[in-house]
Amino acid sequence: MAIEAPRIKNTLHINMGPQHPSTHGVLRVELELDGELVVSCKPIIGYLHTGIEKTFESLTYVQGVTLTDRMDYLNPMGNNLAYCLSIEKLFECEVPERATVGRVLLAELTRINSHLVFVGTSGFDLGASSVFLYCLREREKLLDLFEWLTGQRMMTSHIRPGGLASDFEPDWLKATGEYLDSLPKCIDEYESLLTNNPLFKDRMIGVGVLKADDALAYGVTGPVLRASGVALDIRKTNPYIGYETYDFDAVVGQGGDCYARYKVRVAELREAVKIAQQALKRMPGGSVRTSNRKVMPPPREELGTSMESLIHHFKLFTEGIKPPAGEAYVPVESPRGELGFYIVSDGSGKPVRVHERAPTFANVQALPLMAEGGLIADLIAVIASVDPVMGEVDR
Amino acid sequence: MTVAPSRVEAAFPDALHGVSQDGIPYILLRPDQLVETVRRCRDELGYTRWVDVTAVDEPNVEPRFELQYLIHSLTEHRWLRLKTQTDDAVPSIVGVFPGANWYEREVFDLFGVVFDGHPNLTRLMMPDEWEGHPLRRDYVDANVEPVDFTVTREALGTGGGNELRG
Amino acid sequence: MTMELPVVASRGGHVRDASPGFLLGKLADWSREKSLWPATFGLACCAIEMMAASAATYDIARFGSEVFRASPRQADLMIVSGRVSQKMAPVLREIYDQMAEPKWVIAMGDCASCGGVFNNYAIIQGVDKLVPVDVYIPGCPPRPEALIDGILKLKSEIGKGLR
Repeated sequence: MAIEAPRIKNTLHINMGPQHPSTHGVLRVELELDGELVVSCKPIIGYLHTGIEKTFESLTYVQGVTLTDRMDYLNPMGNNLAYCLSIEKLFECEVPERATVGRVLLAELTRINSHLVFVGTSGFDLGASSVFLYCLREREKLLDLFEWLTGQRMMTSHIRPGGLASDFEPDWLKATGEYLDSLPKCIDEYESLLTNNPLFKDRMIGVGVLKADDALAYGVTGPVLRASGVALDIRKTNPYIGYETYDFDAVVGQGGDCYARYKVRVAELREAVKIAQQALKRMPGGSVRTSNRKVMPPPREELGTSMESLIHHFKLFTEGIKPPAGEAYVPVESPRGELGFYIVSDGSGKPVRVHERAPTFANVQALPLMAEGGLIADLIAVIASVDPVMGEVDR
Repeated sequence: MTVAPSRVEAAFPDALHGVSQDGIPYILLRPDQLVETVRRCRDELGYTRWVDVTAVDEPNVEPRFELQYLIHSLTEHRWLRLKTQTDDAVPSIVGVFPGANWYEREVFDLFGVVFDGHPNLTRLMMPDEWEGHPLRRDYVDANVEPVDFTVTREALGTGGGNELRG
Repeated sequence: MTMELPVVASRGGHVRDASPGFLLGKLADWSREKSLWPATFGLACCAIEMMAASAATYDIARFGSEVFRASPRQADLMIVSGRVSQKMAPVLREIYDQMAEPKWVIAMGDCASCGGVFNNYAIIQGVDKLVPVDVYIPGCPPRPEALIDGILKLKSEIGKGLR
């Protein structure tokens, strides 16, 4: 809700962040305040710049998968997926069906992980700390599943070029099914705490409105764009890894305010559960690794008997995989928007350039449009609803 | 993502066309054609969504920087890549897509490409006083720490340990 | 390869006899150990595991870290959780300087301990180049249990008057 600024301005120039409990990481916002009214708001980033894009150039492609986990650290397997899709596009390589369905399952589980943190932290930022504890309780069960499957809770690097790092155990699939069955009731619980809560609604409805035209001009994507009424979900418009065969809705909101963004993400959480359950049901047999020996090493049993396998293994682990020269950008729908890795290869084992098109980079750039004219407390709600992850903003 | 519609080729007949390995069509432009082409793509051809701009540095090629612009059409659900090459500067397209603001600042910060007409061309990721453009291929990274093996210690004469406590 | 333990100056005059000063010192050590409040200094991925450590399943509140204080003046412990970039380094030092004595620093994760996976221009290779670190916790990211283990080790040393 914008309030008209008085004509006589005596503004306070103040700095918020980069160390601040509500900025979701190291985001710095330079504010010009007229009392509590935000006259101007300038986000300043770069406090988590890690030089990841430069580091990619000194590692092989498969080593680079570990770097992708650490960019959007709430969506690690989604990042792995986007990176591997670009590499596989360069190779034009076949990925087995079990790996493709497995990737959908893991990508949706990661989306659940990210949106649980969103619901928890957006409640926490507005003062509702119990929701945070409940959401993280559910998330711990999910992280236990990730640890069972991959050995790591967060930075799993499980999705590799050509397939997955390792296969699913039947017990793991069963446990995941049980977890997914238990989740809708938990989501109902969070909604009962927040969605119709008059305090939550007062702080979120009408706050931080972003119009659709502005969003498109600024490159905003994901739930923020969909809450402004634009039906753009890359899983629907340009499907990858078989999303066109799954039954789910691309959730579109109305109004473009914080409440719409919250509702879109909660609905997406439910849709993610649906998609993951469908993926579990249709999990086919077979291998999770491609048979293309230029992309993935042969199974270890073959190394004792086949000279060719031994040579493939040797070359892949000394020189790395070598995608044909060219460039590829395959965008995916991350929990934050359009995520893609633009990879330029010159045919050698190390990339020439890897650039991540991070969705939150554009979303945070649009922060002034949402926050100016509101109060400081509204700024907190806006930042929470944009759901920034500074690891991918700054890379 | 299918091959470029003939509308794009018809609209820009003298630019070099192609399709990248990912199926996204590209047009290679001269820097002075850039702003007008982006505007026409947005207004006439329906590429209304801003996506990305980045650069690739090839120090052995003249000109060394190739800039890759990416825009998207909501009606046709396809991306379009615009490429231009430069050694130092290109015009800024912030007037056409305000979202290009931070992207151009990032390319300026990390590669050193100047965007003429940008409202605030300052560093974005590195501190303001930083010297050099880190993502250039010939950037000398003085901050790389040699891995602390015994052989490295003997070779460099360094000791390990906590610098503040000794 | 063994590393020599750093020589730590004892804090605030520990008198080694049975005088009232000594007993008060022991009381101070005890209270500092049992109520160690961290500052919110989550930077990157390790911050998410730090949040998990403060949530219901792992719960560092049962060890005395009831709240994370946003103001450095009110915090005892700075858990540097995440990678420290060039731009963030002066901010980190400033927050450390603003904390009131006695204060301790935990370098959580590989990036804070030694630069981690990122040996390049952008990341400070170990936060001990900026602030004196008391406990290093390896991991990428360390499990919440590893963080709790590090905090407990620090607490036991504080309780004994060693830090």
